[in-house]
Amino acid sequence: MHNPTWEKRLLDIANAEDLEQLRSIREREQTRMATELSTSPAYEVVESLNALHDALITQVLKLAEYDLARLGHGAPPVPYTYMLYGSGGRYEQTMYSDQDSGLVYANAPNEVEEERYRNYFLQFSQVIVQHLIKLGYPPCEGNVIASNPEWCLPLEGWEKKIDAWFAEPSWENVRYLLIVADGRPVYGDRELAGKLQNRFFNDLLSHPVIARRMMENTIRHKVLVGVFGQLLTERYGEDAGSLDIKYGAYIPMVNAFRLLAVQAGIRETSSMGRIKALQQSEVLTEKEAEDASEAFELFLKMRMKATGSDENGQMVGTGKIPSKQITKEMRAPLKKALKAGKRIQLRVQRELQRRFGGR
Amino acid sequence: MIKKSLVSLGALLVLFPTMAFAEDPSAAQLNMGLNALWVMIAAVLVILMQGGFILLEAGSTRMKNAGHVAGKTIFTLGLASIVYWAVGYGISFGSEASEGLNKFMGLGSFFFSADVASVDNALPSSVFFIFQLAFAAVSLSIAWGGFAERAKLSAYLIFTLFFVSVIYPVIAHWIWGGGWLAKDGAQDFAGSTVVHLTGAIGALAATILLKPRIGKFNKDGSANEILGHNQVFTALAVLILWVGWFGFNAGSTVAIGDGFFGYVAFNTQLGAAAGAVAALLISWLVNGKADITTMLNGALAGLVAITASCAFVDPWAAVVIGLVAGVLVFFSVKFFEKIKVDDPIYALSVHGAAGVWGTLANGLFATEVLSKKVGIGGAGLFEGGGWNQLWVQFESVVVAGAFAFVASFIILWVVKQVIGFRVTEEQEIIGLDLSEHGNYGYPEQMKKAGTSV
Repeated sequence: MHNPTWEKRLLDIANAEDLEQLRSIREREQTRMATELSTSPAYEVVESLNALHDALITQVLKLAEYDLARLGHGAPPVPYTYMLYGSGGRYEQTMYSDQDSGLVYANAPNEVEEERYRNYFLQFSQVIVQHLIKLGYPPCEGNVIASNPEWCLPLEGWEKKIDAWFAEPSWENVRYLLIVADGRPVYGDRELAGKLQNRFFNDLLSHPVIARRMMENTIRHKVLVGVFGQLLTERYGEDAGSLDIKYGAYIPMVNAFRLLAVQAGIRETSSMGRIKALQQSEVLTEKEAEDASEAFELFLKMRMKATGSDENGQMVGTGKIPSKQITKEMRAPLKKALKAGKRIQLRVQRELQRRFGGR
Repeated sequence: MIKKSLVSLGALLVLFPTMAFAEDPSAAQLNMGLNALWVMIAAVLVILMQGGFILLEAGSTRMKNAGHVAGKTIFTLGLASIVYWAVGYGISFGSEASEGLNKFMGLGSFFFSADVASVDNALPSSVFFIFQLAFAAVSLSIAWGGFAERAKLSAYLIFTLFFVSVIYPVIAHWIWGGGWLAKDGAQDFAGSTVVHLTGAIGALAATILLKPRIGKFNKDGSANEILGHNQVFTALAVLILWVGWFGFNAGSTVAIGDGFFGYVAFNTQLGAAAGAVAALLISWLVNGKADITTMLNGALAGLVAITASCAFVDPWAAVVIGLVAGVLVFFSVKFFEKIKVDDPIYALSVHGAAGVWGTLANGLFATEVLSKKVGIGGAGLFEGGGWNQLWVQFESVVVAGAFAFVASFIILWVVKQVIGFRVTEEQEIIGLDLSEHGNYGYPEQMKKAGTSV
C-alpha cells in the first residue's frame, strides 16, 4: 500500500477544499478500482477502496468542522469520535455502500454544558451527513446514522443505551447490539470508541445468552445453495436468474463470524480479521479458517462486482450478480464457497443450540 | 283445498295401508335404486367441484378480477348444461349414428328427453345424464384457466357453445361412448384424458392466442410473479376439488356392484396424498423454500393423474403415480414459464402434464386382474403386458390432444379475427370486474384511492 501514487491520492483528498472536488476524486478513483478488480486480488481492492472511503469521510469531517466554525459555533467543545457501523465498520464497503454511522463525544461536567455539546454535535452530524449525501453516499434506510439524535450521544448516554439493550434483548435491541458489534472509529478520539467497546464486551460476559438471541436474529438469511449443491437464484422479476450475493452469501458469513468472534471476546471488526483471530484462539482449525477466508474472499469479490447504479446522484447497489455474469468457470468455485459458508452457518447454529437448547 | 285432500288421503292411508306399499321391491329394483342413488350423489359431488374451481381461479388471480372469475363459472355452468342437453350428450352417447360414423361420433338423443323412471332396472337415464353433464362442465372450467384475467366475456360464451357441443363430446365418445379408441382398449377410467387433458388443451390454445397478461414477462424474457390475491381460497379450493373427486372417480363405477367403487376411492386418496407430498418436497429441495402453491398444484396433479388409472392399478402404483405427478407438475410449471406461456391457474401443468402422465401410467402399471374386472384393455408394461397397452394409451393422448387443440384453436382464432378475444389494455388494467360487469367483486378494497392492483 505504501506506493507513491497512493500517497499522492490521499494527499489530493486531504487538500480538497470543497465537496465537488471530493466527489470527482471519488468517482475517478472508483472507476480506476473497478478496472483493477479484474487484475488484482479482491481483498487488495477492497482494502484500498475502504482506505479511500475513510479518507473521504475524514476530509468531510474536517470540512464540516470549518463550516461550523464559520457559522459561529466554534470548534468542537470536547473530543469526539465519528463511528462507522455496518460494512464501513467491517472495512467491507463496496462502491455503493450507504452511510451507517454514529457519533460519541466526551461527557459534560454539568447540564448546561451537556445541552451546549448536544446542540453542537447534532448540528455537526447533520452537516456531515448532508455533505456525504452530496458525495453520493445514501443515508441509512434504518436510520442508523449520526444525524439521528439516538445515534449521537455522549459517552455516558451510549453506555446507558448499551446496558439497556443487553438488559432487554428484544428483537429490535438485539439488532442494535449486532450493529454496535461492528462499530469502529473512523476519525476523532479513539479512546472514546475503546471505552464503548469495553462496555459492550463487559456486558456480554454477564449476559451470555445474548449470543443465542443474536443467532436467532440473523438466521433468516440462508446461504443460497440447495440440497443438490445447486445455486438458488432469483426466480421472478427483473433480477430473475441472478444470485443475491449480498444476502445469500456475504451477510450469512458476516453474521456467523461476528457471532463466533464476539463470543470469543475478539474485538476485530472486519470479517477477515475475525477469521484470523478465531484461528489464533483455536476456535477455528487451520483448515476451517483457510476454507472460510477463501470463501469469504470470493464473496467479497463477487459483491464488488454486483450491479449498482447511480440513482439521483446516490450510488445504490442491488447486491445481486446477474445470471449473465455467472460464467461456467465461476460456478464450481462459487458452489464450493457457498457450501463452505453453509457449513460454517450450520456449525454456529448447532453450537449455540447445544449450549442454550432450542426454542 | 290442498289441506282437505291431504287430510282425506291420510285417512285413506290409515284405513287401507296396502295402497301405500303396493308391492315389495325386487332385488333388481333395489340394486337399481342403490346404483342410482350412488351415481346421483357422485354427480352432485362433481357439480360441487365447480365451487372448487371458483375458489381456485379467484384465489390464484388478482382482486380486480375476482367477481368476474367467480361469476362466469356459474354462468358458463348454466350455459354448458343447456348446450350439453341440446347437442353434446347426443354426440357422446347417441345411438343413431351409422357404424362407420359411430367410430368418430354418436348421433341422436338431441334435446335429450330423459325417462321418467328406470327402464328395466337399468341406471335411470336422467341420473346418467346429470353425471355426464357434470364431467363436461368440469372440463370446460379447466379450459378457463387459459382465459383468466384477459379474455372477453363474449369469448367465454362462444367457446362454451362449441366446446360443450362438439369438442368435449367427440373425445368422450371416442373413449367412453363406444368410439374407435374404446374399441382399441384405451384405459381412461374417469377421464385423465377425456376431461382433464381436453380442458387443458383448450386452455393452451386460449393462452397462446391471448398472449401473456400485461406485466407477466419482462423485455429481457424474465418472468414476474403475479401472485394470486388469496392463498386461503386456493387451499380451500383444493380441498373441495379433492372431496369432489371421490364423486368423479369412485362415481365412475356407475354402480355399487360388489363395492369396487370403494377401491377406486382408496386409490384416489393415495394418488392425491402422494402428489401433495412430492410437490412440497421437490420445491423445497430445488428452490430452498417449500412453496405452498406448488404443493397445492401437486395435490391436484396427483388427483388428475390417478383419475385414469384408479381402477386399473395396485395401491403401491397409485402412490408412485401420485409422487411422479407431484414432481412433474413442479417442473412443468417451470417449463411453461421458460417458453413464455402465461398459465395463471397452472391448468396446463396440473391438468395437461399430469393428465398425460396419468393416462400413460396405465400403460405401465395396469394389472391384468383389474383390467379384466373393468373389462377394458390389458396389463401394462411393468405388469407383464408388454408394450401394447402403453402404445394404446400413447395413441389416445396424442389423438385426443391433437383434436382438442386444433378444434379449440380454430374456434378461438375465428373469435379473435371476428369479434376480438382479449379485452383492451385499459380494461385489463382496471380489471374485468369493472370492464365486463360494471362492479367490483371487492368494492371496498378496490375503490380505495383508485388503486390499480
